[in-house]
Amino acid sequence: MTRHDRTVTYAELDAWVRATARRLGPEPGVVGVLTSRSADTVAALLGTLAAGGVYCPIDPAYPWPRREALMAASGCRMVIGEPGSAVPSGVRLIRLPEPPDPGMRLTRLPEPPDPGVRLVGLPDPGGAGFVAAAPDDPAYILFTSGSTGEPKPVVTPRGAISVVTAGLRELFGITPDDRVLQFASLNWDTCLEEILPALTSGATLVFHDHAYSGSLHRMLRMIDAERITVLDLPTAFWHELVHHLTAERAALPRSVRLVVVGGEAVSPARLAGWRALGLDTVRLLNTYGCTETTLITHAIDLHGPHAREGGPDDRVPIGRPLPHVVERITEEGELLVGGPALALGYRDRPEATAERFAELDDPDDPADPIDPDDPDDPDDPDDPDDPTDPAVTRRYFRTGDRVSRRPDGALVHEGRLDHQLKVRGIRVDPGEVEAQIAGHPRVGAVAVVGVPVAGHTTLAAYVVPRSSTTPAAMPADTTASLAAEVLDYLREHVPAHLVPHRITVVPELVHTASGKVDRAGSHRRYRSAAV
Amino acid sequence: MNVDAVSAVFREVLEIPEVTADSDFFVMGGDSLLATRVLSAVARATGVELEFDDLLDAPTPNALSKKIAEAA
Repeated sequence: MTRHDRTVTYAELDAWVRATARRLGPEPGVVGVLTSRSADTVAALLGTLAAGGVYCPIDPAYPWPRREALMAASGCRMVIGEPGSAVPSGVRLIRLPEPPDPGMRLTRLPEPPDPGVRLVGLPDPGGAGFVAAAPDDPAYILFTSGSTGEPKPVVTPRGAISVVTAGLRELFGITPDDRVLQFASLNWDTCLEEILPALTSGATLVFHDHAYSGSLHRMLRMIDAERITVLDLPTAFWHELVHHLTAERAALPRSVRLVVVGGEAVSPARLAGWRALGLDTVRLLNTYGCTETTLITHAIDLHGPHAREGGPDDRVPIGRPLPHVVERITEEGELLVGGPALALGYRDRPEATAERFAELDDPDDPADPIDPDDPDDPDDPDDPDDPTDPAVTRRYFRTGDRVSRRPDGALVHEGRLDHQLKVRGIRVDPGEVEAQIAGHPRVGAVAVVGVPVAGHTTLAAYVVPRSSTTPAAMPADTTASLAAEVLDYLREHVPAHLVPHRITVVPELVHTASGKVDRAGSHRRYRSAAV
Repeated sequence: MNVDAVSAVFREVLEIPEVTADSDFFVMGGDSLLATRVLSAVARATGVELEFDDLLDAPTPNALSKKIAEAA
């Protein structure tokens, strides 16, 4: 890993990870990590896994009530962070060990006690034995937006990251010559698409402040100077990159061979713009996946050496399933994803888990019995190499995404079955924001909608005061002060991507015939009042 | 870059005609992604390469125009 002029070699990282695991002690349970954009967070991630623990990133920029809620929901008993960081009572704050000195002497690694044992963890902190970890043991906890106002902790097993990391190495074609830019925030799962395939391939993971400064001029110069070969970008950011390259007549540095995008729908106009840039040797790979299905489940080359003609691009496809993925499409068009990379569920939320993870019969051939004499029987549930085994595929995640299949087999995203939105590539349930706003003592009712601003989805909120003041009697300064108060309240409680850019105080919301709040109708009635 | 020129950039990026010298880019619906367009336009016009934090600091055409003058 490199960051500006400092480099951490694989040998140093290995020693750093062991030191971290030793400090945590064996089986530390869930370990919260106050993240930073640096190699430190990678050492904390790998050190936690090596100790047999469960990694849970916590963004130190979040307001304290949010951090506290996430730590409580994760069940962590230890948090790795800077000295002085706030942690709930009963939680131990641990400082990450310093990275080892460059040029240190390496000691020979102990051999596994039994050559037949497959080890997921690294040698344990004592140095004698190993931390035994099974594929079903949890590896990390990440949060997704929930409609009730509480983020849902997704628990991902170690086997899932093993199978997906292997699949992504193959998909990306990562080699030791690659230099992968660490661009994604270390608080979401996308960063693992950068970190894990790179570090399991002998490639270099590059950190650089100019990746996140907001200046694309600086970013492009840095990509050139650092000889970056792989970029993994949120689709919305890639849209801006295409706009910049076109408007500024700027060139993508020639070192780049692969650009991975994902997180929301690719704009056909931006794709046409990219194709006009003449970057025919650069792979442009569109990807799709959910936190609950571990990183990427579907992918397709949109441009470059591997791209093939598929169909009209008025809607850009999300791709075909990766080899480990089992997919099903329901009659309503919902995409269901099965296979060995599914999350274990939502921690301590059996109802939410049952709602989204469905047990279904094997669609292919439920009546086909297992032939005990045939070791290659595809229905043998004990065959660990066969992802289509009934025993494995009986469990599916309901993605909530409606899809259709093009003639060439690639899936096209048709929309959501629920009200979830993508704000800057992050899944947001408007119900979560509504529940947070409803926590303000002066708010009676609230509707949150996604509003497009220059092609980007932003959040707008319509708020009805709790007092029974008649609409006409609401003085203008009261409504303005309430909007400002609610905004301040939100900034103290939730991350920035959940804060609407505009809060409008209105006399009442629009309701549907069945009496439910009509979010779109409320927006239509009051949009002109919102300035 | 004077206030009017910065206001024009805001208008173009946000696709909203009602931008005044004191309109806050983020209150008008701007986000960190649209901010890159403002920063690119400022760099193209003036050669000054501001960062996202500068726009957070100076989110109105008035304030940003001053910031550009200081950095030039």
